[in-house]
Amino acid sequence: MEENEKNNQAAGNDGNGIIVVKNLTKKFGNKIVLDNISLTIERGKTTVVIGPSGCGKTVLIKNFIVLLRPSSGEIYFKDKRIDNLPERELNSIRIHYGFLFQGGALFDSLSVAENIMFPIMRHYRIKDWRQVEDVVKAKLAMVGLDGFQNYYPANLSGGQRKRVALARAIALDPELILYDEPTTGLDPIRADIINELILKLQRELGETTIVVTHDMTSAYKVADRIIMLYNGRIIADGDAEHIRNHPHPVVQQFITGQVSDDDLAVLRASGTISKAQFLPRDFEE
Amino acid sequence: MIGAIGARAIEDVSSMGQFGRFVWRAIKACGWSLGRTTSYSLIWTQMNIIGVRSVPIVMITGAFVGMILAVQAYDQLAGMGLEEHLGVLINISVVKELGPVLAAVMLAGRVGGALTAELGTMNVTEQIDAVRSVGTDPVRYLVAPRLLACLLLTPALIIYADLLGVLGGYFIGVIQFGINSQGYWNFSASGVELWDVVVGVVKGFFFGVAIAVISCYKGFTCKEGAHGVGQACTEAFVASFISILALDFALAVVFKAFYNTFWPLKSLVS
Repeated sequence: MEENEKNNQAAGNDGNGIIVVKNLTKKFGNKIVLDNISLTIERGKTTVVIGPSGCGKTVLIKNFIVLLRPSSGEIYFKDKRIDNLPERELNSIRIHYGFLFQGGALFDSLSVAENIMFPIMRHYRIKDWRQVEDVVKAKLAMVGLDGFQNYYPANLSGGQRKRVALARAIALDPELILYDEPTTGLDPIRADIINELILKLQRELGETTIVVTHDMTSAYKVADRIIMLYNGRIIADGDAEHIRNHPHPVVQQFITGQVSDDDLAVLRASGTISKAQFLPRDFEE
Repeated sequence: MIGAIGARAIEDVSSMGQFGRFVWRAIKACGWSLGRTTSYSLIWTQMNIIGVRSVPIVMITGAFVGMILAVQAYDQLAGMGLEEHLGVLINISVVKELGPVLAAVMLAGRVGGALTAELGTMNVTEQIDAVRSVGTDPVRYLVAPRLLACLLLTPALIIYADLLGVLGGYFIGVIQFGINSQGYWNFSASGVELWDVVVGVVKGFFFGVAIAVISCYKGFTCKEGAHGVGQACTEAFVASFISILALDFALAVVFKAFYNTFWPLKSLVS
């Protein structure tokens, strides 16, 4: 709770914040998913948001790009308030963002090349198609998939799909890239490829990066700053060292990946075979 | 109890409001799309998917409507010695009511179901959010081309259904039952006016818009998971079907009033 209050007091742009969030609350019906969150995302840095499943990490970054609107509070992008803008005006703001969705969200009816061309075609009048093809080639080369232009999303593996989605996310050379669970569902090697890509893009393009994950290996590898969400509030905020030594029991439990004593007691108390459970002999004649 | 009814009423009014706003956004998006030649390729693609590929099923529907009407009505008319009137009965029914309505119902199933399933799947796999995230209005990109394709091609498909309905009736009446061909067509020509054909085709514009906006709205607002998409498809078809029948009734009343007022003036002009 202390971290949340500290952030609430500190939220405000000292000139280095690309995104500033003030007193953000998001409710779905009566359920409060984000509870009075305030924070500043620093320009050019990699901020990782961690927290247990369902704690509101994805909701938080979807609010940053206003794919979801806050129930209350304010969101600023480069000192311009954006949470109250109409969709038409938001479209001109969103071209400064790249968003990598959890499942990739590639358009299945379009080829890999068409997926990457999509943002370019929607915002620029194309005169020289060869130039667009060169851009597609360059973006695919950045994620190590040059040559896959004519493939369709259905023909790609999970890791390849995420890399193509990343190529689409950087198609308009955004200033800010949001990654929603980039390593979820990937084996450790492919997950590490994505981590390396995040670092590479940050190094080469110098853009601001926000990563939502519950993969601590990934978080430690890419983060300049780690924020932990729990029950809709920020309970820890600092660099990797700060998080490793954080005194909050929930933080320690999360980063070490250990179940709490209470949850363990519940699991042990419940039986493995209930009286209503069928056994193979029940089906024997 | 009263609280539950009130909550349900608020929810229904709210979703009607949302639907109204969606329709308004879709109409504005259509205007925007028509003003940009870059959108034409998207409209063209949807016209192919929605219109061209629906031609066979709509023609089959029309043909069966005509044939069934002929089989059902022949005995009654022949009993009174009026079998040559079969043509007028079939053709006016086909071009004014059954052709447009049944073709629209077929489109609600074939096209509406596909639109809802496609957009619903895009919704639950975050593809619609992906469109928004790159600064593109999904209503302009996804809804407008589909709405325009339905608007422009439903009347054309109704003409196909009418044509095959007329031929189906002719095939059964004249070829199978041996009605005199000249009498069949003479009574048809005297009983079916251009107005009747126009009414049926104009209904197609309204049916097309209803099918497109309902199906797209259900896709855009569908709930998570396979069950959510399935439920949205069912709701889209039911809502489209009821809308087609309700619109048919409303248009019948409006066109009748219009006909009674203005059609007699035609003789003064010509």
